[in-house]
Amino acid sequence: MDWIIWLIPAFPLLGFVLNALVVRQERQAGILASAMVGLSFATTIAAMATLEGTPAEARRLTWTLWEWISIDDFRVAFGLLFDPLTAVMALLVTGVGGLIHVYAIGYMHGDARPVRFFAYMNLFVFAMLMLVMADNLLLLFLGWEGVGLCSFLLIGHYFDRRTVQPGINPSDAAVKAFVVNRIGDAALLAALFAIFTNFGTLSFYPNPQLGLTGYLDQAIIVAGQSIDFGAFGQLPLMTAITLLMLVAVAGKSAQLPLYTWLPDAMAGPTPVSALIHAATMVTSGVYLIVRNAALFDQPASAAPWVLVIGVVTAFIGATAAVAQLDIKRVLAYSTISQLGFMVAAVGMGAYVAGMFHLLTHGLFKALLFLAAGSVIHGIGDQQDMRRMGGLRTTLPTTFRLYAIGALALGGIFPLAGFWSKDEIIAHAWFDARSPLAAIVLVLTSAITAFYMGRQTGMVFYGRPRDPALHPHESGPLMRWPMIILAAGAIPGGLINFPGLHWLNSYLRPVLQEPEVIYTLGMGVLATITTLLSAGTAYLGWKTYAHDLELRIRVGKDDPALRYLGDLWRGMEIGWGLDWLYQRAFVRPYRAAADFFSDAFDRQGIDGVLVGGAARSMNWLAGGLRAAQTGYVRTYALAFLLGVIMLVAYFTLR
Amino acid sequence: MNAFPILSLIVWLPALGALGVLALPRANLQAQRAVAMGAALLALAAAILLVVLFDRNQAGFQFVESFAWVPSWGISYTVSVDGISLWLVALTAFLTPIALAASHGAIERQERAFLALVLMLASGMTGVFVAQDMLLFYVFFEFTLVPTALLIGIWGGAGRRQAAIKFFVYTFAGSVFLLPGIIGLHLLHRQATGVATFDIATILASLQLGAFQLDPAAERLLFGLFFIGFAVKAPIWPFHTWMTTAHAEAPSSGAIDIAGLILKIGAYGLIRFNVQLFPAAAAWAAPAIGVLAVISIVYAAWVAYQQTDMKRLLAYASVSHLGFIVLGMFALNAQGIAGAVAHMVNSALTTGALFLVVGMLAARRDSRDLRAFGGMWKATPVLGSLTLILVLGAIGLPGLNGFASEFALLQGAWRSPGIGWRYTLLAVLGVALAAVYLLHMYRATFMGEVPPDLAQTPDVRPRELVLLTTMATVVVVLGLYPALLFGPMQQSVTQIAQGTLQYLASR
Repeated sequence: MDWIIWLIPAFPLLGFVLNALVVRQERQAGILASAMVGLSFATTIAAMATLEGTPAEARRLTWTLWEWISIDDFRVAFGLLFDPLTAVMALLVTGVGGLIHVYAIGYMHGDARPVRFFAYMNLFVFAMLMLVMADNLLLLFLGWEGVGLCSFLLIGHYFDRRTVQPGINPSDAAVKAFVVNRIGDAALLAALFAIFTNFGTLSFYPNPQLGLTGYLDQAIIVAGQSIDFGAFGQLPLMTAITLLMLVAVAGKSAQLPLYTWLPDAMAGPTPVSALIHAATMVTSGVYLIVRNAALFDQPASAAPWVLVIGVVTAFIGATAAVAQLDIKRVLAYSTISQLGFMVAAVGMGAYVAGMFHLLTHGLFKALLFLAAGSVIHGIGDQQDMRRMGGLRTTLPTTFRLYAIGALALGGIFPLAGFWSKDEIIAHAWFDARSPLAAIVLVLTSAITAFYMGRQTGMVFYGRPRDPALHPHESGPLMRWPMIILAAGAIPGGLINFPGLHWLNSYLRPVLQEPEVIYTLGMGVLATITTLLSAGTAYLGWKTYAHDLELRIRVGKDDPALRYLGDLWRGMEIGWGLDWLYQRAFVRPYRAAADFFSDAFDRQGIDGVLVGGAARSMNWLAGGLRAAQTGYVRTYALAFLLGVIMLVAYFTLR
Repeated sequence: MNAFPILSLIVWLPALGALGVLALPRANLQAQRAVAMGAALLALAAAILLVVLFDRNQAGFQFVESFAWVPSWGISYTVSVDGISLWLVALTAFLTPIALAASHGAIERQERAFLALVLMLASGMTGVFVAQDMLLFYVFFEFTLVPTALLIGIWGGAGRRQAAIKFFVYTFAGSVFLLPGIIGLHLLHRQATGVATFDIATILASLQLGAFQLDPAAERLLFGLFFIGFAVKAPIWPFHTWMTTAHAEAPSSGAIDIAGLILKIGAYGLIRFNVQLFPAAAAWAAPAIGVLAVISIVYAAWVAYQQTDMKRLLAYASVSHLGFIVLGMFALNAQGIAGAVAHMVNSALTTGALFLVVGMLAARRDSRDLRAFGGMWKATPVLGSLTLILVLGAIGLPGLNGFASEFALLQGAWRSPGIGWRYTLLAVLGVALAAVYLLHMYRATFMGEVPPDLAQTPDVRPRELVLLTTMATVVVVLGLYPALLFGPMQQSVTQIAQGTLQYLASR
């Protein structure tokens, strides 16, 4: 019965094929796509039930369809695995994904290309499931690039428009996302090569169907090896492999220094932002590290770097979120920041805490995006928060749902975000003994609460600033998915509630992580964090709903700019990474391409080398050329020369 | 010895078709097209039969047909295939009807001659891949130049003269090295064994049995002669400019470009001669060739980004792909060589199909400049989606054809002692750059706002749909099940790799 795990990705793939080739009607496409993800969700539940029946020391279902690539000793299975870690990821992807599909039926109504949209959404779910279910790194890579492709396709959904948000062209944003992701993908490819070269396999665990060994239980093989860089010293092989993976994670999970594509990705339709750029795809980097925990647990691994990248990204992302004026861009930078939390967690070896936050974040961030979409939809496709204001009276349901999401994200007791975020901070302070990381993360939490307070204040409180808007509440197709997500975001902390450790016990067959023993110190730390966050949330809300409210004007800068000046500007442009890359990489790349193409190929090789050769040929063929200058004749001469040489050899030998 | 001369059939059917086309009255274009297509399809059917009948458990040459030609000099008409040439024969047979179909309506004058030349070229190329006698190989090798030069010269663009001269200079320069190499090898073999032969299998057997031992200096010299001949043809940087010029000057329809792509003669020659016959010299030269290959990959990818003529851009893409192919084969292990051979096929398929797309775009706007387009995905959604599949295949997206071969050859290069991870890491950069230049092209032509005058552009016509769907289907099938490609070549590739291993072990 293990083959049923193939049904999980097969349903969305079927949905994609049908929507791409057969379906022509908007309503049919939406229902088909949602139903397929729903079936996939049901199959996931069934597979989880089957999984329960397996012994704890081998809690894993696997099924290989065929041998994907086989050349000599290089063999890779086209096979899936289903273990507790995969199960929770698949549950998130199909569960939240299904809700977002239903929401999209309402949201995309009247769109120019709805069938194509739903086809791509299904393709995304398929690729994401392949990513989390692959039984080897190469098939994971198929999902990894596949979700990147779907991200490209869906960001570029409005490819024929000039702009969606000011200054962001959807086509450019789509290409940027793909290319930046490709940089990370290239690093992952290199990691794959290194892993196969040293372990002789790309399978995570032994594959009994093909008789392949797994590399995760042999991490010790490369423990002592290192790469010699001559004068630059040596780099342990384990560091190199995990470092390459970290680059891949930075690309896919939008971490420093590769996060710049994610804010621009908001040019895609809002359900896409919720599903791909918040709840699922961007978390695949975290999944990659958790799956490869056996490598990152090695003493020589790049785990400390993972922690640093995560913590710094969390902080940078949060500060950038503070100064955004676009409702989705705030959430985008917030996602970067929250992904930083998860990456920091797995960098500390707190894999369960990272997964915990991944799951709760998937719930409340999807909720926030959908609610933001409900706002955007309700006021006629406006995303500029300066045009909003006072929407709590006109969009009451959306407001309540948004507030739940904002409180959960802000880490306010007792909502989901509080528990998962706190587990990471506690781990940093007490277990990883990294007070600096813990302090930065606490500060980041406070900033998070502040920007969510600011956003709630700006959007839902104060006066309606744009008289041209006629807000209307969304229909049931959009409302119910949000309500279900909100119902999850409130008690989401139960997943790994202190003392219950459900997630921890469930994942134990994969991660073998001990249960956290809760101490008074942790309670104190959590209390401090949540009080601080509550304070900053109130501050942010009060400032933008009351104190500065009158100074928020359409088309004008944020009133806080006056007080913070360049610092605010820096936060507004996401600390200028785009600006820097444009000058450091994009323009030099273009200039060099110009140079090579003109100066080198045209004038250098063609001019000097070929031209010279041609001139000497002409000189050689001068006598004949005087009579005729057809090149075919010249060719015939050359051929003749060859034949003469041949005949001369055989006659004179 | 096979009773049925299937290889000769595949080689000479197109040439027969060419004669048939020329024999038909000038005015009867329909009949000419039918005869040409009929001959090409028959050759394709024979090639499919060849693939089916091919014994994948055998490493050596199969379907051997041999007739003495000039017995006193040991020259014979010997044709055969092994797991490596099998796919190149199949590729040629597959792409020839596509090239013919693509030319319909796109060739304004002398279509009869055009059809005949494409068929002659197909015969010549197939001949190169099946020739087991070195002189026969050389004759076919040189023969392919005539139709190619004529195709560019007669139907080319404004700069066709310059392109033709360049093409000629390069090719001649290459041949100057190749022929002495062949004769030298023959001569040394005869000195050592007393057998006068140009038969590759015989020479290979003598080498492997130790009856014919090459002095390292002589081996390196021969290796160098063959290498220069094939490197120009491949082409490897810095010999690539003839190819980009030729593609830019060839007519838009894409028919000739496809023919040009099947000209994987250079890369094929490198495997057949340089790698297979001279393992010691190949291992000796691998690091240096690795450098050239990596430069080809990165440089061509970089320059491609700047091109505005889509065909020139694709030509650079092709050069970049060839860099991967050469890198893989000089890994000198099974993954590298198998990946290289598969990548020859995959690269020709995706790039060839993209040339067709450029032809279709050019037919709609009379321009190949990507700045002249925009938003075509909206105006021509089917063309846009099919093109995207092909672009992604060329980029090397997993699940499409380019990935499996690219991954295999890079994996081979990474673990090989001659190339190693340092070069391969740079080549991996080329993988990222491929996305840069190809998506740039796709972005410029198919995405963005639709210019008003393009809004009513007709979408794919039935013939175009059949062509592109066929190509896209192959791209997907070979991506999901690359064993189709890798399976039959396994034994031959392993044998070549073992030849190198034995040499390395004996050193």
